Amino acid sequence: MPATPTPSPSSLSIRVNGRRVDLEVPTHALLLDVLRDRLDLKGAKRSCDMQVCGACTVLVDGAPVSACTYLAVEADGRDVVTVEGLGGPEALHPLQEAFVDHGAVQCGFCTSGMLLSAKALLDERAAPSEAEIVHHLRGNLCRCTGYRKIVDAILACAGGSGSAA
Amino acid sequence: MLRPFELRRPATLPELGAILGEHRDAAALYAGGSELLVLMKEGLVRPRVLIDVKRVAGLGEIAAADGTLRIGAAVTHRTVERSPVVHAHCPLVAEAARFVANVRVRSVGTVGGNLAFADPHSDLATLYLLFDARVALWSGAGGERELPLADFVRGPYETARRDDEVLTEVRLHPLPPGAAGAYLKFGVHERPTLGVAAALSLDPARRRVAAARLAVGCIGARPQRLAGLERGLVGAPVEALAAARVDAGAEGLDAITDLHGSADYKLEMAQVFVRRALRLAAARGMRQDIDARYAHTVAV
Amino acid sequence: MRPAGPFRVVGRSVRRLDAIDKVTGRARYLTDLSVPGMLHATLLRSPHAHARIRSIDVASARATPGVHAVVSSGDFGWCDPYHGPAFRDRPLLAIEVARYEGEPVAAVLAEDPEAGARALERIEVDYEPLPAVTTLDEALAPGAPLVHSREPQAGHFADLSSLRPVPGTNVCHQFHWERGRGAAGFDDADLTVEDRYTFPRVQHYSMEPHAALAAWDAEGGLVVWASTQNPYSVRVELARMFGVPLGRIRVIVPLLGGGFGGKTYAKLEPITSALARLAGRPVRLAISAEEAFRTVRRCDARVRVRLGLRRDGRIWAAECVADFDVGAYADIGPRIVQKGIYTATGPYRIPHVALHSQAVYTNTTPGGAFRGFGVPQLAWAFESLLDDAARRLDRDPVELRRQNLLAHGEEFAPGDTPIDGKFEESLGRAAEAIRWTQAAAADRGRGVAMMMKASVAPTVSEAIVRLHADGSVTVLASTVEMGQGARTVLAQIAAEVLAVPIERVSVAGPDTAITPYDQTTSSSRSTTMMGRAVQEAAEDVRQQLLRIAAGRIDAPLAELTLHDGHVRGRGAQLAYPDLLVERFGMGGGELIGRGIVAPGRSAAPLGGSTPFWEMAVGAATVRVDEETGAVTIDEYVSVADVGQRINPQQCEGQDEGAVMQGLGHTLLEEMVYDGGQLLNPNLVDYRVPRASDLPARLRCLFVENGDGAGPFGAKGVGEGSLIPVSPAVGNALARLTGVRFRELPLTPERVWRALRARRREGPA
Repeated sequence: MPATPTPSPSSLSIRVNGRRVDLEVPTHALLLDVLRDRLDLKGAKRSCDMQVCGACTVLVDGAPVSACTYLAVEADGRDVVTVEGLGGPEALHPLQEAFVDHGAVQCGFCTSGMLLSAKALLDERAAPSEAEIVHHLRGNLCRCTGYRKIVDAILACAGGSGSAA
Repeated sequence: MLRPFELRRPATLPELGAILGEHRDAAALYAGGSELLVLMKEGLVRPRVLIDVKRVAGLGEIAAADGTLRIGAAVTHRTVERSPVVHAHCPLVAEAARFVANVRVRSVGTVGGNLAFADPHSDLATLYLLFDARVALWSGAGGERELPLADFVRGPYETARRDDEVLTEVRLHPLPPGAAGAYLKFGVHERPTLGVAAALSLDPARRRVAAARLAVGCIGARPQRLAGLERGLVGAPVEALAAARVDAGAEGLDAITDLHGSADYKLEMAQVFVRRALRLAAARGMRQDIDARYAHTVAV
Repeated sequence: MRPAGPFRVVGRSVRRLDAIDKVTGRARYLTDLSVPGMLHATLLRSPHAHARIRSIDVASARATPGVHAVVSSGDFGWCDPYHGPAFRDRPLLAIEVARYEGEPVAAVLAEDPEAGARALERIEVDYEPLPAVTTLDEALAPGAPLVHSREPQAGHFADLSSLRPVPGTNVCHQFHWERGRGAAGFDDADLTVEDRYTFPRVQHYSMEPHAALAAWDAEGGLVVWASTQNPYSVRVELARMFGVPLGRIRVIVPLLGGGFGGKTYAKLEPITSALARLAGRPVRLAISAEEAFRTVRRCDARVRVRLGLRRDGRIWAAECVADFDVGAYADIGPRIVQKGIYTATGPYRIPHVALHSQAVYTNTTPGGAFRGFGVPQLAWAFESLLDDAARRLDRDPVELRRQNLLAHGEEFAPGDTPIDGKFEESLGRAAEAIRWTQAAAADRGRGVAMMMKASVAPTVSEAIVRLHADGSVTVLASTVEMGQGARTVLAQIAAEVLAVPIERVSVAGPDTAITPYDQTTSSSRSTTMMGRAVQEAAEDVRQQLLRIAAGRIDAPLAELTLHDGHVRGRGAQLAYPDLLVERFGMGGGELIGRGIVAPGRSAAPLGGSTPFWEMAVGAATVRVDEETGAVTIDEYVSVADVGQRINPQQCEGQDEGAVMQGLGHTLLEEMVYDGGQLLNPNLVDYRVPRASDLPARLRCLFVENGDGAGPFGAKGVGEGSLIPVSPAVGNALARLTGVRFRELPLTPERVWRALRARRREGPA
């Protein structure tokens, strides 16, 4: 039987929520685990673990990726945005405010992913239609809200200041 | 989580070929990892070496020359979706790219990864048949060889790639000038139950079919063109398209009963969506707007 | 409780207490928690639906680097390894026999999950496959192999103190109830209709899979952090299993990423606690989403309904017979079969009723509580058949229902709470909203369905309210926040009673060392039952404030009121902090109020009188693509009679979610088994609703007559609007296509096949 390869660590330099982070991680480490366990950014969640549900969504160079199925080493030299980087209690991002105001949050487990997916959409297209929002959210599942208020919250930001970086 | 592996990042094809030649099927080619990493998490595949193709010169390019659209294997669906070159030469390909899986998979998933994985529900494997697609395979030992896509995809998760070869690019021939195409995929589940791609060239009066291309996928072991129906439609009046019928036996069209549906249902849906795809393609050919919204259907 | 209205905080859509935390990623769920020295547990699961475990070889697994221990059932001789709320039939790890595919057979404790996964692969189990029963037919066949051969012990609930298994069979409980002359009532029916229906196996798919973290202290006490809906139920199980006094077990519940009933009663807590004890270190067990499919599901059912009507449209007699498949372990199945069938006949006046239900074991994922709790399975059948009866009598289905509705104050069952809502109002609003009396477009069909459900009884809820020296308030209540917004509602109630701004009210997280007893967060009961406990506790504090103030300004209590953090009366205005100083003679101290809601047993058929009736109506407009069978819901209206919405926006959000979850089992969701093998335990192959499944128009409406027994006239909400979805859609399809569907989900293929059969055979 072939020997199990010794994990070879990789050195990474990632800008996480605007701040540069230098790390050594095993090559096979997934971005989700590095964010949650090494950087204590717990907002991204593990749910389906196969890129369907979106609970692990983070932005890498502005594009949404499934952190559960993304090697941490791929983020080397890139910008990663997690929900913690979207805005904090003192200064909420318009999407975060809209989610709160529209009652688009119930259990909250899908929320980080929903927010970051929505941000990626609004960064690309300031005034998406409801159909475009629904298309964009194909990969973001919610079991609590039934989606109505989530879509309404994103619509409320569409065409407004929701596209602010 | 993943089991440990060695990650190699060749900068050139010869480098890649050497690594692949050394490790063969103990190595896995890795681009977006959308399929590979999930299989690795489940323990279904256990490569000792991952060969990252994304830094290899040339694999991330899109170019059009000599009547061929070339899409590098490492090009992401997102890039295809946004590429002015793809829009100019094979607009249907760019538009369909928007509907592959979900936005996150499109960010990292690649054309080459999709075709090489040969998921029987792949959108690309069906759609690209419309463009007489060929794939380029390269190995250190043999250099490049080219295969029609139809011969490359052998069956579910099975391709003609030898274990020392890498898929470097896919080559598509744009539809003839004036041809109009459509791609419909239908299904309730995460992966489509059925994909139908159609392209029609109409006569100058736009009353009759001059040429037709039809591809059906997802329902059987691999996608295929419907050569018999394509021939049969030549000269047919546009009105007759509503009654077009696929002779499954003659076409060798087979369906598999699985979680996505029973074989008889899938074959019947192939009939339904071939008609719908033809109708949409014809309408586009005649510059008409029609409502092609169907439940659980993406109409590109 | 008649509300005094208008209210300051109650009835307003105040922001959820946890909203900011959740949108900023600060909210903490179980897998966000860790403790020093924590080991990671991984479970090895049986690949067989039924198998004898001949041997388990853990030597190689144990030798894996990073592995602390590998454990199987033989390592649990020091405790009682069985648990379960009805029958104590579920072992920590399989003992000699694995009873379903996915049952935990062994456990690895490792320093990190990777080492655990590696070790798991090295455990060698020698199984001897046994004949399995994986459908109701198989399980009920004479001479069928038995899923359980030993006599199970009853669990800890008063309403299940009379469990009725049928020895020598796979039936672990039966329930019968009759009213009037029972089935003999059909003798006087002018029209009798009968049909059979099935309801599929579906999964909760909470976004957060189950997880638990346990740690023992040096004195033999246990702390468990659990993603559970009932910390106290978990506590009592653990106390009994490990022989530890209740007071030495602390169950702490963070936020849950969804529950829907799937996290009721002990699931992972016993095994996690046992492993922590063996290891002498804290242990966290976090299962994957795929493992959740093998932990709990909804009980599938087959239902036979017979309805007898008089010519004038009165429903005269009804008989419902239901078999529920509870899977390999009973969990709360016995209560489900009771609760589900109890209101099978819906919100109608029916003089002669015969109900029979049974809980049947099969070698499949255990069935347990899931939003609706047996009622969706029955309502699917009954409301479908009622529409068919209306058609046979040539009556409008809305009118036929209206004619037979129970009236406000009428008795449903002897000993149980009288009807506490105006059902005709809900029905009227739904019919109006869907434009029932206007002709539908030729390609649209409309359908309506109603439901009624009892909430679990008897139960106990206790709460404490603390008024601090600065006039701020803390509510101690063990209600679990799983997305439904209950903690916010409790804060609103306290803020209303004590006349303080909601921003000044905190609600402590459930912690059995701190927050007092609550039976469960389920059954739509928390606003009503815990709400009353909180209200009572706040009233207690209010009385204390008034008495202090009355003494200070020498005024009778009746002249004093609370207003904006002050007691007012006789021209004086005394701030709460001043009153506390008055009381304690110093700047410290706090007022503590207590509330206990414990109505106790009653003569009602299920052992306790329901605190409220959950009542809802659903109305759907549907289209069908006959070529593919795909059903589209153009419009859906739900109406829930909730007495008084404490937080209108949260109620609406709950019902929107309930409708969409109902659309799941109606159109999309099905756990597909091949014998005992679950073929689709993941989201690629199990289809939960997405945003694109939203009806073009979804409206969730509420009837609020202040007639609930909860605070300010409130009742419960959250399950009701899920239940009518499938029959409303089924009825709409029947009216549109002439085809009656009896199976769910109504996938395109299923509908297509039925429509083809209709075309071949002609209309029914």
